[in-house]
Amino acid sequence: MLISTKYSGGSTIAEGRNSGRTGLGRVRYWRAADPTFAIVVVLALILGVMVIPPLASLVQGSLRLTTPTGDLGDFTLDHYRRILSDRQFYQSLANSLVFCIGTAVLAIGMGGVVAWFVVRTTTPFKSLAYLSAIVSLGTPYVLYVTAWLFLLGRSGPVNTALMAMTGSVRPIVNVYSLTGMIVIEGFLWSPLAFLLLAAVFRSANADYEEAARMSGAGIPRTLVHVSLRMMLPALLAVAVLIAVRSLEAFEVPTLVGLPGAIKLLTTEIYLDMKKSVPPDLGYASAFSVVLLFLAAILLYFYSRLVRNAARFHTVTGRGYRPRPFELGRVRYVGDAFVLLNFVLILVVPTFALLWLSLMPFTQTISLNGLKALTLENYDLVFHSGFYLDLAWKTWVMSAGAATLVMAVTVLSAWLAVRRRPGAFLLDGLATVPLVFPGIVLGVAMIQILLAAPVPVYGTIWAFVIAFAIRYLPYGMRYASSGMLQVHPELEEAAGVAGGSPLLALRRIVIPLIRPAIVSGWLFIFLVAARDVSLAVMLASPAAEPVAVAMFDLWGNGQGTELAAFGLVWTAMMTVVACGLYAAARQVEASGFGA
Amino acid sequence: MRIGSLVASAVLAWCLHMPASCRAADAALIAAAKKEGRVVWYTTLIVNQAIRPLAKAFEEKYPGIEVRYSRADSGPTALKILNEARAARLQADVFDGTGTVPPLVRAGLVAAYLPPTAANYPPALKDPDGHWICTNLYFLTPGINTGLIPRETAPRTLQDLLNPKWRGRIAWSSNPTAGAGTFIGTVLRRLGEDAGLAYLRSLAKQQIVSVDASSRAVLDQVITGEYAMALDIFNHHAVLSAAKGAPVDWLKLEPVAAPIQVASLLKDAPHPNAGKLLLEFLTSEEGQRIFAAVDYLPAMPGIAAKVPSLKPDGGGFAADILPPEVLAQNTDHWMMIFKDLFR
Repeated sequence: MLISTKYSGGSTIAEGRNSGRTGLGRVRYWRAADPTFAIVVVLALILGVMVIPPLASLVQGSLRLTTPTGDLGDFTLDHYRRILSDRQFYQSLANSLVFCIGTAVLAIGMGGVVAWFVVRTTTPFKSLAYLSAIVSLGTPYVLYVTAWLFLLGRSGPVNTALMAMTGSVRPIVNVYSLTGMIVIEGFLWSPLAFLLLAAVFRSANADYEEAARMSGAGIPRTLVHVSLRMMLPALLAVAVLIAVRSLEAFEVPTLVGLPGAIKLLTTEIYLDMKKSVPPDLGYASAFSVVLLFLAAILLYFYSRLVRNAARFHTVTGRGYRPRPFELGRVRYVGDAFVLLNFVLILVVPTFALLWLSLMPFTQTISLNGLKALTLENYDLVFHSGFYLDLAWKTWVMSAGAATLVMAVTVLSAWLAVRRRPGAFLLDGLATVPLVFPGIVLGVAMIQILLAAPVPVYGTIWAFVIAFAIRYLPYGMRYASSGMLQVHPELEEAAGVAGGSPLLALRRIVIPLIRPAIVSGWLFIFLVAARDVSLAVMLASPAAEPVAVAMFDLWGNGQGTELAAFGLVWTAMMTVVACGLYAAARQVEASGFGA
Repeated sequence: MRIGSLVASAVLAWCLHMPASCRAADAALIAAAKKEGRVVWYTTLIVNQAIRPLAKAFEEKYPGIEVRYSRADSGPTALKILNEARAARLQADVFDGTGTVPPLVRAGLVAAYLPPTAANYPPALKDPDGHWICTNLYFLTPGINTGLIPRETAPRTLQDLLNPKWRGRIAWSSNPTAGAGTFIGTVLRRLGEDAGLAYLRSLAKQQIVSVDASSRAVLDQVITGEYAMALDIFNHHAVLSAAKGAPVDWLKLEPVAAPIQVASLLKDAPHPNAGKLLLEFLTSEEGQRIFAAVDYLPAMPGIAAKVPSLKPDGGGFAADILPPEVLAQNTDHWMMIFKDLFR
């Protein structure tokens, strides 16, 4: 084993990597100064205040009839009954499961492999991978889906080219299929997997991999038996997030599935919800409650698996410095894969949007179309400066929410991973919002904010709070995955040296998991800025994010105008996000020497 | 059910004795509105296209009264107002939409107020109880890709849509108030429940493709050639795109569904006088001309659309006007048929 002494100063009680688990030192350390219990209580209160009122209104909504004036009526189990009595329930369920598993596999496969190559090898395309993730998360969701439909649709360039080549008169690729849905949804979620796994890989200890290599294991065996095993909590965390999110997704199921007559569990629910004014949220709420149970079961298994957290500690008192793999000739495969990811996640959809934005009306990609090139749509964007005036407000909202979430979840994850009394509750509470449909959370937020003594309703702060609630689960998984890697011996060392647990958190743990914190922050910042369904409920004359203002075009504007607005916005988000990311890397590098 | 032609014939009458439509609003009302200094408008219109020019013109005409607006679809708009009212913290003064008003009337939130300009509007375009007045019209018709369907072979009647050659080539939006819902509803209203259902059953065999996007987005897909035809698109969208060179046209295939955009004053509006003034402005000749200028279809008889043939009187077609109550009462039923036959 390689020995480095960079962090070995305090490892007097850490003879081996599992040594401290029942050691006397640890017990005394926690007891001697246990401000942590008070923190658990305070955090539980904060999270409780954030999560329980919307949860209560979700459960209540699922059990009550809605009157025509939008009030809650009599008690009913009808909403639940309807989910099960759907004529095609089993077919929908099967489709949903295939969709959700396929999406998770594709997203984690792509995101994970790219993350590994980027972080653990010497591929020269690292920044392209980060750029792909940032651009794709910065692109408004509906536009991203539209771009893929435009490319793969019956009259799209892919089918046109294939038909010309094969002489077929019928379209060859049918994007309105379960496969098409999985591909698009998988692409949408792969940046989440990439950012989370890249953060985890960056803090990974290369010692075990090197030990495996020195013991004669080849790269594949090392990957399977060492790298992947160490990554298990992070992989599972991503899997849980993506599985639950894709089970309740509705953009792809309705935009891609409905034209192809492919029914998922959510299809009926979301169509039903739009049917009346005001929308009847009971059915959707009941479905969310069912999903909540499902998520709870998944999380239960997840938490059992990571209970023996020591298995995943890769950052210990011994030297830790991730060293890139030397892949030899295999590296070309890696480079090619990272490039392919860049092309699929960024270049292709962005090119489709660019094409659309330069057309006077939507038309397929062709040489003929080139004659019609126009900057008219961009002219429109820059002459409606008011959209751009909303930009800074949007950034304040998203940055505020991202900061709030990461602050709460880093503390919570630390306490939960260190298994402080009661801290398991924090993890549970922070995960609940994963199942809230945007509009349901929006209604709950309106009610809560209107009843609050502080005049928050209609202000930017309403968005900060609501986005923070919505994206808590993501922050929690990013923070936990990072935290699980850090062996407690480092904090114990701090304790032995007289530092309090909080000091150890601040001076040791947070710097060590900074990649995960930065990734989580970035993810939330990007996705909160493109949120529409929740945001539209909270929008007021005084506070409106760009996404809401932009999407009124979706209802009535031409797709070409929307593409131009979307691209300009994506470019602005990308510049801001890259700037912030670079700044964070700078701080990290100067403070940590990573 | 020739409401459209009624409207058309009424046009002349109103044109002839249009009251001094530029008549200034009541001075006392203006003074009271200026004291309030602001009007808050929850709207379903498109900000960039309609709201900003209207708000700008209003602010220029009544300096000192700021128009503040918030844009959302009918559902969220109704939810917001209902919840604000329940908490007794209403923010909005005026709201609009094609189907937003009925639940709010039922909740007792809407003022019975019609501006003086209402005198210029036919009964079909204003509520007898005074809860709403129409600001602009929509006509939902089929739209075709003219590259795929030459105009002369395009369907002219409901029966023509049943021709097997259209199987799998027609799409519609799953939207209840501008798409599948309104198409089904208008067929049932025209043919009667039994004959209508029989027709829809035959139509279902054509494998109409449902797209869960706005009619505008479905029309864009028709323009790219994804589908040859879309049912119940907004006819003015086809004209706007055709003007830019897109291979698209709309068909005067009757019955034409006409959900109407109406605006209302809230009973507990925080700025009631400014709200009244805004309603008056929107339905005034001046306001209506702005609707026309930004390619919307003005409601006031006698004010032509930018492309006059888009309105029944200019285009010579009959429209079935679907007032908000009709939408509210029947959408559930229409969407049930949609689910049963077309999904």
